[in-house]
Amino acid sequence: MRRIPTSCLKFGPAVALLLCAATTPAATGDSQSPANGAWQSLRPQLYGTRDIGEGGDQLMSVEAPGSTPDPSATPVVVHFGAGLQGKVKAVRVIIDNNPSPLVATMDLAKGLPVEEIDLRVRIDRYTSVRAIAETGDGKLEMRSTWVNASGGCSAPPSATAGGVLGQIRFHPSPDARALQFSIRHPNNSGFQIDPRTGDPIPPHFVSHIRLSSGGQTLMEADTGISLSENPTLRIASSQPLKGPLTVEATDIPTQQHYTATWTAANGSR
Amino acid sequence: MPRASWIALLASFGVAAGAPAATPAPLPVSEVAAGEFVHTGRSLALDAPGHDDIANVGFIVGTRCVAVIDSGGSPRIGRALRAALRSRTQLPVCYVINTHVHVDHVLGDVAFRDDHPHFVGHVGLAAALIRSRDFFLQNYRADFDSPPDAAQIMMPDRTVAPGHDLHLDLGQRELLLQAWPRAHTDCDLTVFDAATATLWTGDLLFVGRTPALDGSLKGWLAVDVQLAQRAVKHVVPGHGPVGSDLAAALAPQQRYLQALLEGVRGAIAAGKPLQEASRAVQPAHIGWQLWDATHPRNVARAYQELEWE
Repeated sequence: MRRIPTSCLKFGPAVALLLCAATTPAATGDSQSPANGAWQSLRPQLYGTRDIGEGGDQLMSVEAPGSTPDPSATPVVVHFGAGLQGKVKAVRVIIDNNPSPLVATMDLAKGLPVEEIDLRVRIDRYTSVRAIAETGDGKLEMRSTWVNASGGCSAPPSATAGGVLGQIRFHPSPDARALQFSIRHPNNSGFQIDPRTGDPIPPHFVSHIRLSSGGQTLMEADTGISLSENPTLRIASSQPLKGPLTVEATDIPTQQHYTATWTAANGSR
Repeated sequence: MPRASWIALLASFGVAAGAPAATPAPLPVSEVAAGEFVHTGRSLALDAPGHDDIANVGFIVGTRCVAVIDSGGSPRIGRALRAALRSRTQLPVCYVINTHVHVDHVLGDVAFRDDHPHFVGHVGLAAALIRSRDFFLQNYRADFDSPPDAAQIMMPDRTVAPGHDLHLDLGQRELLLQAWPRAHTDCDLTVFDAATATLWTGDLLFVGRTPALDGSLKGWLAVDVQLAQRAVKHVVPGHGPVGSDLAAALAPQQRYLQALLEGVRGAIAAGKPLQEASRAVQPAHIGWQLWDATHPRNVARAYQELEWE
């Protein structure tokens, strides 16, 4: 089980997990930790001793391909049943056996009837992937799934990489109930190798994403190195999403800001 | 299965290379044209026992020296290829040519180190090798000579850039090396032997095995169109049997890649997320090997390329 250096805790647990884990690649090795290792240490930090519901796929489910075709870009889908739609205040996604287990913490606007949130993640080795939802009235629900994959955190930047840093591309569903957006960004994990020098590539990743409509925040997320290259999120609602929708992203450590707006009228731009 | 026990399992099947064998058994090769020797790789997955012998490898003999084209997925296979070469000729090995970066084609290079050849590859090969080095050492550890280290991965000292063909003279035999833009990978190279009109495509052509996309789908389709126009008498694909009709050998792969392009574009236009595209895009595959493992990965790669169109 990985311990978080206490010197990092002054930044708060979320930042500590995103940053400190990223600077200790030696800790990833081939050591076999229990399947739910990270969760055992994260649970008291994030949720204390609060009850967490774990039963039934009707209320909530987490889906990922059991054997992922691409460990460096594995889709994870968090689905909310009717009993939770419009009630979820925050969602965390955790990959137990990743060097940086906390993938994202997403805060949702009050009453937003979210059916699904999709993320594309790196999977470092065989692991549980779990999502924990917190409702407006303080209840917690958790579901998890198992993924057989390895190498996603150290996988070299894909040969298909390229494009303009920070370019944002929108892909709405035809009925406008779902919107996927992707941000051109290497999201370097700190575990990859620079082809020119053979040296490790320093971490450089999208740390914050905000989705808003007419200035009003719909979703705000703290994200880390477990998101794939070209961080991609998809949000599906039980009602059509009303444009214009604006995505704003910030990265670490350069603190660059990227933004783009989608309106139904301008299609996928 | 944890990675360590997976490797232990591979080792138990005798895949692991120990100390270099003194006299390895020669790799079976056939002379597909005069002086043109090909070993046809086995039909196995990249993680199956024996996976270091899945790529087509071989050598071309001139009057002055010999060129090796790809070397297999381990020093062990490289030595067996060298033994096959030495059973046919005592001429020096002047070139070891790699058609691209993938592990099953390059890890045998080190077996030729003491022959002091030029190692030749695409101008992007060195970067791709460095990028892949740790991946090879972690995931194909048991295929290296013990102890595994990066020094066993040979770096090219002669490179070929797209648009700048390289001619190599083996003595009354000239090879034409062409580097291609991003296609199967970002460092694909073909070798044409004019004397016998033989084209070595590397993994720009898979025969009977699901083509694996690791570069650019659109780029690969464009390269296939150019390759199909070439007049050749013999074609050596990266995987699968040697053929004589290049356009016919390419056709099933072109149909598949085109269907992949259209299917994934359609899924993106319909607002289908990646995981749905993997289920929805199901082109015909006429019984190719490794379809279940490779096709979903191709969809994922294609999706990530085409969603930026």
